[in-house]
Amino acid sequence: MSVADKIFRLLSENSSPKESDWINSKIAADIEKLPSAFVAAPRFISKNPVDVSVLFEDSKIRTWALDKLARGFLLLKIDNASKDKYTSVIESLFETAEVNEAVALYSALPFLPYPEYWKFKATEAVRSNIGPVFDALAFGNPYPAVHFSDLEWNQLVLKCIFNDKPIHLIEGLDKRTNRELADSISNFAHERWAAGRTVPAQVWRLVIKFTDEKITNDLQKLFLSGDISDNYAAALVCHECSFEKAKELLNLYPDLSAKVQKGELTWEVLEV
Amino acid sequence: MCQNNHTSSNPSHFEGSQEEKVLAQSIELNFMDYIKDMKFFDPHIHMTSRTTDDYQALADAGVKAIIEPAFWLGQPRTGLSTFKDYYNSLIGWERFRSSQFGIKHYCTIGLNSREANNEALAEQVMEILPLYVYKEGVVGVGEIGFDDQTAAEEKYYRLQLELSKEANLPVQVHTPHRDKKKGTLLSMSIALEHGIDPGMVIIDHNNEETVESVLEQGFWAAFTIYPFTKMGNERMVEIVRKYGSERIMVNSAADWGISDPLAVPKTAALMKIKGISEEDIIKVTYQNAIDAFAQSGQITQQDFEIVQEIDQSQKFNGNTILRGGQQPRIDKNAIIIR
Repeated sequence: MSVADKIFRLLSENSSPKESDWINSKIAADIEKLPSAFVAAPRFISKNPVDVSVLFEDSKIRTWALDKLARGFLLLKIDNASKDKYTSVIESLFETAEVNEAVALYSALPFLPYPEYWKFKATEAVRSNIGPVFDALAFGNPYPAVHFSDLEWNQLVLKCIFNDKPIHLIEGLDKRTNRELADSISNFAHERWAAGRTVPAQVWRLVIKFTDEKITNDLQKLFLSGDISDNYAAALVCHECSFEKAKELLNLYPDLSAKVQKGELTWEVLEV
Repeated sequence: MCQNNHTSSNPSHFEGSQEEKVLAQSIELNFMDYIKDMKFFDPHIHMTSRTTDDYQALADAGVKAIIEPAFWLGQPRTGLSTFKDYYNSLIGWERFRSSQFGIKHYCTIGLNSREANNEALAEQVMEILPLYVYKEGVVGVGEIGFDDQTAAEEKYYRLQLELSKEANLPVQVHTPHRDKKKGTLLSMSIALEHGIDPGMVIIDHNNEETVESVLEQGFWAAFTIYPFTKMGNERMVEIVRKYGSERIMVNSAADWGISDPLAVPKTAALMKIKGISEEDIIKVTYQNAIDAFAQSGQITQQDFEIVQEIDQSQKFNGNTILRGGQQPRIDKNAIIIR
């Protein structure tokens, strides 16, 4: 079943008869009018939450408002035979989008034809200062993990951390770790520590594969922190990495070591 | 919008006792005491030109929701793109900025009268307006109307009245500073000529000279409490005493000029002190504006009345931080900045 079909089924299951009529009338009408239907959708479709997990490959729970789902559907119904024409129609929707429209566009990005074409737009969401717009691209959205370069990816993750947003909601977080990012995390922590501030403990999951001498020093500092979350993060990194010196460091903290061994301590505990 | 900040103050229409006068003048120090637990709606305020301090002050004073009309930014725009970016900011960035302070932000979209005089540009702006008037949270076409009362202004006022009719949206009409009475009467007669229900039209920046004809003909009468050039709030109290609270609303029109974003709550406080009934105060500082602009179908009173931890549709996996969070407060008097 295509994504459009899956969305259509979700819409049918969750719409009132009046809402269904509106959606059906829009797909039956002139295809050129779909962009204006995209704009008008909230006037006719409620914002009731719908579980849209079936649209995604992983099993994470995702909830969209019904009007956002309808908007996603309309985007997929726009004629995409010509790349130039299709992309220019979508571009113009982006250009005049209010907040909820921008959110719908970014949420639908993984399903749009010509996915590579939208990369610059996607990086623009990372630059956005409008919370919901950034969130729509950053969280529960498979697009960045699939299409972003390391540089673009790291920018997304670091901006999240900088703005105190929850990185565990980024799709593919553990798969897309890289040396550059690990170094940036360490440097960022040093900056914050120098300013008398802290970093969220779960960011250290990004350094596991790249644990070295320098990062082991950071872990040492985390073990000595008065914040139990920092201690947990240090124990988890030491346990999961393959850097011998770090593994030995964990032996100095038998209580934490036991907790990790028994599986009582996981990154989920630190996901806030 | 104010263009000439005359330094002379409003002619005093204050008719209270000497004692009342002193009280009214000292009210700024403690006006909040009079309006505790009251909520306000400012249907005309240009937050684009204001600071975050103002947003905090509005939230503290009980302003729950605002309308930001599209207006003149203080200097003429040179191209279509800047209009577009401005409209985008009204439905995008400013809306988000406001939400961070817990204030619901609506806007009206239109080509302002002053820039209607640049006809070549005005033509292009008219072409993009339909892209904006159907957006969520756009509660009217505005602010439009007359400034110098030129032929071009009239042309684009008429075209935008037609647009409002087509989109079934209320109209927020700016009335001119010079030759106000004539401009106001003309604005109303043109609206009627276009077959627009006066109940869908909010005539703004009224004064003692214009209010009667506006109310008589069934239009909404908005009053802008703006120092020096428009209404003072003592005069406003007398207006409500005389005309009651039907179809009357108060706004601040705070912008880049010397203006007061707290004009609505301050006026409510003054009304309370001067014995206006609570029911009338609620109408002119809250409910009437909501009723007038809710005719757009874009205002859900519950959105700003029931304080919700989070908009359910924006919730991911039960995580509430995603809203962007409320802005943290800083102590303005502290010398230490952390």
